[in-house]
Amino acid sequence: MTGVEGVGAYAPAYRIDAETVADAWGQFQAAGISQTSVPDANEDALTMAYEAGTRALAAAGREGREVDGLFLGTTTPSVEEEALTPRLGSTLGLPTDIETRQQTGSTRAGVDALAAALDAASNDGRGTAGTESVYLVVASDAPRGAPDDRIEHAGGAGAAALVIGPAGPGAVVDRAERVSPRPGTRFRQRGSAETTGLGITEYDRDAFRETVGAAAEALDVELGSDRSDVDAVAVQSPNGKLPYRAAGAIGVDTDAIRTGTTVHDLGDTGAASPLLGLASALADGNQNVVVIGFGSGAGATALLIDGEDVPVRTALNGDQELSYAEYLRIRGEITTGEPEGGGAYVSVPSWTRTIPQRHRLVAGRCEECGALGFPPSGACPRCGTLDEYDTVELPGTGTVQAVTEIGQGGAPPEFTEEQARSGPYVSAIVELDGPAADETETASMPAQVITVGDDAVEIGDGVMATIRRIYTQEGVTRYGTKFRLSGD
Amino acid sequence: MRDVYVIGAGQTPYGAFPERSYRDLFAEAYAEARDAVDRPVDPADVDEAVVGTLGVGGRQLGLPGPAVTEHVGLHGVPCSRIENACAAGGSAVRQGIQAIRSGHADVVLAGGFEAMTDASADATKYWLGVSGETEWERLTGTTFSGVYAQMASAYFDAYDASADDLAHVAVKNHTNGSKNPKAHLDFECSLEDARDAPEVAAPLNLYHCCPTSDGAAVAFLAAGDVVDEYTDERVRIAGAGAASDHVGLAQRDRYTAIDASETAAETAYDRADVGPDDLDVAEVHDCFAIAELLAYEDLGFCDRGEAATLLREGVTDPDGELPVNTSGGLKSKGHPIGATGVGQVVELFEQLTGRAGDRQLDDPRLGLAHNVGGSGGAAVVHVFEQEGVVR
Repeated sequence: MTGVEGVGAYAPAYRIDAETVADAWGQFQAAGISQTSVPDANEDALTMAYEAGTRALAAAGREGREVDGLFLGTTTPSVEEEALTPRLGSTLGLPTDIETRQQTGSTRAGVDALAAALDAASNDGRGTAGTESVYLVVASDAPRGAPDDRIEHAGGAGAAALVIGPAGPGAVVDRAERVSPRPGTRFRQRGSAETTGLGITEYDRDAFRETVGAAAEALDVELGSDRSDVDAVAVQSPNGKLPYRAAGAIGVDTDAIRTGTTVHDLGDTGAASPLLGLASALADGNQNVVVIGFGSGAGATALLIDGEDVPVRTALNGDQELSYAEYLRIRGEITTGEPEGGGAYVSVPSWTRTIPQRHRLVAGRCEECGALGFPPSGACPRCGTLDEYDTVELPGTGTVQAVTEIGQGGAPPEFTEEQARSGPYVSAIVELDGPAADETETASMPAQVITVGDDAVEIGDGVMATIRRIYTQEGVTRYGTKFRLSGD
Repeated sequence: MRDVYVIGAGQTPYGAFPERSYRDLFAEAYAEARDAVDRPVDPADVDEAVVGTLGVGGRQLGLPGPAVTEHVGLHGVPCSRIENACAAGGSAVRQGIQAIRSGHADVVLAGGFEAMTDASADATKYWLGVSGETEWERLTGTTFSGVYAQMASAYFDAYDASADDLAHVAVKNHTNGSKNPKAHLDFECSLEDARDAPEVAAPLNLYHCCPTSDGAAVAFLAAGDVVDEYTDERVRIAGAGAASDHVGLAQRDRYTAIDASETAAETAYDRADVGPDDLDVAEVHDCFAIAELLAYEDLGFCDRGEAATLLREGVTDPDGELPVNTSGGLKSKGHPIGATGVGQVVELFEQLTGRAGDRQLDDPRLGLAHNVGGSGGAAVVHVFEQEGVVR
């Protein structure tokens, strides 16, 4: 029987208060939200998916190489066409002979990715893999609207991930879907980064209540008469009020809704919203959770999950408050983009050649002398033997050996936009720990160290690898390793 | 092995001349260098030309050598451009020496130029980073200020030195450069100016960084067997050394020294049969103030960790035991990349032949030029000896 083996969740470190937005605009248009999470300039759906995915795998005690399928849901992929899953899988160390699916086009995409993974698991259609298969489901999103739009005021960012597999203590007890043709509640035109909606209050509520209620009702549980069995309802939360308006239609009280939503503290996390609610509810010790994804169009997907003893790892407690000006900067609303003058040119094929190093810190051990080489090419840094390396994967921990903070004016053109959005950044040389715990060999690499607020990076500080956007050139975003302080 | 002499050397002023072309700059340096030779060098006498330039701005990236030598009428001369980042000029001198020693040439033009100030600030920053390691180092958002700042962080962590010492380097070199009519930033600066300047890449601020400059420099080198035809003054290239290292700082064994400089200096001292204690004057590659401190140690002026003390005690001041960067250095004189290494030769030629004007030291006999490419991926060191006047 396929179950839930582990859950991970992530939200960026930055927050903007509803009051701060209200001060700027005279009103805050996203009722029931006290603050929203804001991605750093180098974060997006893929990097947040990595953060949640790596936590889910760790919670489940799984290695990336054990995964048989990757299912991603997001409404905000960094490009409208071109799958993110191959690169996301690469950052997480997943094999290449796996099923991948990317759901997008509505906020239901996250729960639909979970449904698709469950289908794959129940199909038993892969012959050799079958019900022993392990699936990683990730919902990652950062909805945007026009600065004065209620969708932007509500818009947060975050990601949640589930490992589905045979060893799961958790179980998906039942699921159901319902649709209703109701256009116009929330949409984004082709080529636009801004989601909007007609804002017809009662129409929008009806579309939500009707589909969400119908899907919930179709679950093989008596939600209304035996609600004590349901600890939380993790229902799509585009703002802080709509979920509660559906409580009656779902057949639960508002406490169950409150227990299953992160909207008050993270805002509208789009496709990640229901699964973030699930992660949060499970992390708080709840067991039976109804998860309901809703997407405009309209449709809803509901699942009843028995989450008893499911291990959860979350990082949802960011508290770096932004002023409204800082918010506009970090969102890129008032920055001008990369200037003329050219950026360091690394062709896409040559970048691709180094993806194992950039995504997973794949190093080489010299066959002659045992020294570590990173990147593992050319002569051994110690003995000079040419290109005779055994492949080793580094654990991603290390120590700062040299460091600078690049102030305004010090950034090359391809990094001026990042600096304009995030402020001065830290560039360091990191001494990477070797693969074994008792290892004395190390290798050094240049890398940025992510700082938040007053963080200062000093020589000797411990750091851990994560994945962030490095830069975008020729329209292709390059993802790679940056480090965060180990204390974070 | 044939002896090689510098028979004349000259340069343009360094500065911001956006209206001037690189060819025009080179022609001025060529004329200055010819004027500096006692007896005329006929264009037909030049057997070989080596021209250093990085190619900032992308102008004439291919064949910039012939583009300037043909411009000054050196028709048909074998000419190559040498690219070794900021060590291009020093490397051009080195190639000139080798052409003479090999017997291919008796008289060589070794020159360099760069035109840098006609580009936008963003375009300039692009070009300032092209000699960093591109695939990894540059993609952490650094240009050279960032990489040298990382070296400064490691140096401060290891030794007794601080940003105040960097400010002292700036004050010293600006004081020297204020006496140099060819200097780009020919003004004195106070310790407060140098301490409180805007940060570029912590711990480096604006006054810890050299400017980008336009300029050209040319040196004429001649074999010992023909030197009499041109001059009675004997400035011999007593020793030459060069070395390379990993282009990216992270790949190196240590960040508190430039190993290529150390190796190049050891070789040059060995060939010249002298040591650092014998030197009377040195032009070192102070693209950033920390680089001058590292140079003191790499070149053996003092022990590891003692550079700040050497500076604080005034040893490298013009009236000290070993004046360093009497020209103002890259910091004040300026840094037109390809010209810099040759411009150092101009300063030493002038010091060793008594032509350094207000900067003139008291009869120096032995001088050293130290030219670094990138953050230490290449280094070239030459030792010059004034052998006196022969009539």
